[in-house]
Amino acid sequence: MAYSEKVVDHYNNPRNVGSLSKEDPNVGTGLVGAPECGDVMKLQMRINPETQVIEEAKFKTFGCGSAIASSSLATEWVKGKTVEEALAIKNTDIVRELSLPPVKIHCSVLAEDAIKAAIGNWKKKHGVEVPEHEKASH
Amino acid sequence: MSTQLPVTNPPLVCWNCHERTIGTHFCPGCGKLLQLPLGSDYFAMFELPRKLWIEMGALEQKFLQLSWKLHPDNFVSATEQEREISLKRSSELNDAYRTLRDPIARVEYLLAIEGTRKNGENKQQAPPELLEEVFELNESLDELREAKAEGSDTASLRQRLEAAEKNFGEKLKDVDGALQSKAREWDGAIDAGAEVPDRGKIMAQLNDLLNRRSYIRNLVVNVQKELL
Repeated sequence: MAYSEKVVDHYNNPRNVGSLSKEDPNVGTGLVGAPECGDVMKLQMRINPETQVIEEAKFKTFGCGSAIASSSLATEWVKGKTVEEALAIKNTDIVRELSLPPVKIHCSVLAEDAIKAAIGNWKKKHGVEVPEHEKASH
Repeated sequence: MSTQLPVTNPPLVCWNCHERTIGTHFCPGCGKLLQLPLGSDYFAMFELPRKLWIEMGALEQKFLQLSWKLHPDNFVSATEQEREISLKRSSELNDAYRTLRDPIARVEYLLAIEGTRKNGENKQQAPPELLEEVFELNESLDELREAKAEGSDTASLRQRLEAAEKNFGEKLKDVDGALQSKAREWDGAIDAGAEVPDRGKIMAQLNDLLNRRSYIRNLVVNVQKELL
């Protein structure tokens, strides 16, 4: 099965690859994995505690093209959004944007989970309770 | 691997003589090759209980016996319908044998037919305590690839990866041991006629162990590939 043009583009030119300091109190880190394919995805974001705006996002993913594209797209989308807006991103949005085939849907689920995990980590650092429905649920 | 198996077993009626039959392979009434009954699974195909310990010699013998009986060569002069059934059943038999012969594939298949692991629903949990290690090891692998490409010194990276390979090799042994003892627990539960909730509990634990194993296994393979 061929990858869609958008997946290939993100795969060849991944946006925001890299990492932020885990120790920075304003940085949330989400580390998630999909055991069925062995993928592991790290998504980090620096969040302004005053405005709750995600000012910077970085990712590093070891996995297939779709997993890399999903996380690359996720970092693009969360940048400039508030925490609330970022939490509203659904894996189905990623599926649609990247035209992922059914066998690759779990890659988008992973990316959604990574966003939630990163924000959850940031909230924890700031002593905010993470409601059950915002936890990486998949 | 087909996992869409209905839960109930409808009564089997021979397609040829329309008699109800209890045969699994040939109709006791008219002797025709039967279609695989709905709801039957790989274990049933070999007339085995849904247990994880299988005697390999007996399995192979049964396989050879059945492939000989079901083989399309036996049906060259039969009707088209029979030829088709023979072809289909032979290929199902091959799938079944390949699955049951492999201890890991066997557990995966059992999880699927017991409803613990649903195909297409990839909501498998990654073991969180492993993720950190997995990520770091992947980073070291990346570094080694880069160092190789640049022709720079890889000695210390290799050393680190060799240590990791050993560490994950141990982890693989541990998880295989845990899988074996969980499999024995399952077989015991089946022998004791365990009900659905108890079965589900053991299945969930087997599922977790398999997830853990597949992570570790992938890593070990990748590390070995880079260290060659």
